Amino acid sequence: MEKIWMPVVAAVLAFSVTEAQAVDSTGCGLGSMAWRGVSGPEAQILAVTTNTSTGSQTFGITFGTSGCDPNGRVTGGTQKMVLRFVENNMEQYALDAARGEGETLDTLAGLLNMDKRIFAAKSQQNFALIFPDGNVDAVYITNKIFEVIKA
Amino acid sequence: MPCCPPIKFLPLCFLFGCVFLTEVVCAALPAEDPQWLALVHYHAGVFSKYRGTVDSEDFYLAKDGRTNPKAELEATVRLFAAKADKEKICRFPARYLFLKNKGLVDKVGVECEEFAQFKKDLLPAGATLLFTDAYMNNPSSLFGHTLLRIDTARKGTQLLAHGVGYGAFTEGDEGSPWYAVKGLVGGYYGGWTIKPYYDVINMYNNIENRDIWELELDFSADELEMLVAHLWEVGHTRTRYYFFTKNCSYMLLEVLDAVRPEVMLAKRFPLQVIPLDTVKAVYRTAGLIKKVHYRPSRQSAILFDIGKMTAEQRRFLPAAAEGKTQTEGLQATERAEVLETAYQYVQYLYVAQKLDLAEYRRRTFALLSARNQLKTPLGAKDEQPSGKLPAAAHESMRVSLGTGSQNGQVFQEFSFRPAYHSLSDDGFGLLSGAEINFLELKFRRYESTQKTVLSKLNLLGISSLSPADKLFSPLSFAVSLQLERYELPDSDSGKYIFNGHIGAGKTLAVTDCLYFYALGGVGGGYGDFLPRNQYAAIELTTGLFADFSRFRLLAEAQKSFSSSGFAAYMRYRAEVGLSLTKDWGLAAEYLFDDNAKRRDNEEFGVSLRYYFSFFR
Repeated sequence: MEKIWMPVVAAVLAFSVTEAQAVDSTGCGLGSMAWRGVSGPEAQILAVTTNTSTGSQTFGITFGTSGCDPNGRVTGGTQKMVLRFVENNMEQYALDAARGEGETLDTLAGLLNMDKRIFAAKSQQNFALIFPDGNVDAVYITNKIFEVIKA
Repeated sequence: MPCCPPIKFLPLCFLFGCVFLTEVVCAALPAEDPQWLALVHYHAGVFSKYRGTVDSEDFYLAKDGRTNPKAELEATVRLFAAKADKEKICRFPARYLFLKNKGLVDKVGVECEEFAQFKKDLLPAGATLLFTDAYMNNPSSLFGHTLLRIDTARKGTQLLAHGVGYGAFTEGDEGSPWYAVKGLVGGYYGGWTIKPYYDVINMYNNIENRDIWELELDFSADELEMLVAHLWEVGHTRTRYYFFTKNCSYMLLEVLDAVRPEVMLAKRFPLQVIPLDTVKAVYRTAGLIKKVHYRPSRQSAILFDIGKMTAEQRRFLPAAAEGKTQTEGLQATERAEVLETAYQYVQYLYVAQKLDLAEYRRRTFALLSARNQLKTPLGAKDEQPSGKLPAAAHESMRVSLGTGSQNGQVFQEFSFRPAYHSLSDDGFGLLSGAEINFLELKFRRYESTQKTVLSKLNLLGISSLSPADKLFSPLSFAVSLQLERYELPDSDSGKYIFNGHIGAGKTLAVTDCLYFYALGGVGGGYGDFLPRNQYAAIELTTGLFADFSRFRLLAEAQKSFSSSGFAAYMRYRAEVGLSLTKDWGLAAEYLFDDNAKRRDNEEFGVSLRYYFSFFR
């Protein structure tokens, strides 16, 4: 789809795989790596596997990598954007949800086209549901978010 | 195909409505228009009047487009007039805007889906220049980093905006000696990357603990459209990357020039491009900056929060950071503050790889559950960390003129330091306790001999005195490489020693402005008058650094155990700096070498320092 931009990015990635991971690994989401149980370059590969097996089934979207959107942009439908955002901001969202305020709540409320205060309150009230334990992944969280806001 | 069609075709062309364009082309093409020159990144070349910076061949439409702005403009006009080559037409939306504004092209009527999608994803609402603070743990980040942010009109926050940066593709060479060499001589290509702003924040604020400064650019809607279009154009190109000149910050300046040619930012940096200097240049350019916003790093935010806590709160913090959430006696808000700060600190520890995953998750969830049970939002905090604007820091070039005495010999001294900061300089806006001296030259004229000599060439001197406490334990270090003149005793002449030192240790902050430090390290030197031409040494250093903003004091003692008597000494050194104005300062230095094997060396001097830059 992104005929023009993508070859550049692809070339860049091919050129600098190590660089992208060693120096710039954070682009692929600190959150997702940390809570998926691995870190470092291997994590990326694992994350991809995790993603495609659960993520694509859930939402019917094919992922590139965890948060490393090949075109590097906030794009797609609401669900995809929410998932991407959760993948990459999981830790901050967890804190904001627990306390019921913060930048990530405002952002997600915007993506979901909801009132900020309502989304904040729902996240806080349902914190234990969205984050049952340390093993949750972005897909689970995203699902719960959609569940909670519909309730 | 020649630019000007023969006159006889003109009436015919009129019939088809296409002649207007070719006619103008024939008349007066604005090939010397500053915006045209900036859009194709033309600068004075070595062998030609003009040469484009960009190395990608397909960035030029004319065969000699890289050196010939007129030919390139003609080729560009032809491209849009022909309305045929969709791929090329869609590659150059900014050139199209330029030609359209000049009345040189009609509507082209070609749909550029990819570019449309790019704009749709970005939803541009404004532009911001980002400066991320220096990062002492990576040699390529010592001077900070700049990138652009395309602000978004998306509902929500600017976390959904996009950061656009220019960087070198280093092919995983960091850490190898090749990295520095290739970085200096253009051994890497540089290119453009784009990512959501939340990724930028994660990387700089949360992982590398670097503050981010957001300088909102005052662009009109048309200028913003031009910026996005031009980023699309350069986003497809690559250019040889030079660490000191054609670097991340320089290319951003060329892009800003293309948007608003009259600012002429790139031309102000013919030699070295220090990221912070480019920020200063942008900041000082009238009408370019609308607003400045500070986004503290995770570490800065934690330190700020702790600074505001009561003693009681601080007492609970270390235990909370271990996941023990009891805070008897604290009110709900106080407790919430402790839990939230502890949470951020656990994140910090995990990123610093000081916690394993299982433990990290345990502490994280203990803190979050406890926090969630307190149904008290803290609300907007009254006080936010404000930071000290790096763009307001002193100029990075320094000359100084002084006088002093070495073992009773009076001398005058002149020194020049192209970059960047000494601990005895005013540290406002710069990383506290960090110094980077680069290519500092010192000349001395001794009264007794009436000779002017190069007394020192400080190739590189980097120190990072980064205070450690209960929560943070960063390494402090000092590295230096220099050529130094040694005055031979009882003789009129001197000899040169090439020496290097490296040391690491810890710094303790007694208060915000008083540090004590201890470093251990090794050193070595080469000089043809030394026994076996060389020495090696083990060096133990301890000192204090006091920074009362206008007045700074650095005092240290160093014991050196060496293979050669020449370098076995006890050294006492002190340096003070006093700011007079922002650009002027006074300094005094003292040095005493108590040397068992040679005559003691004692020097002191006072000097007047002037800070300046070429880009104002």
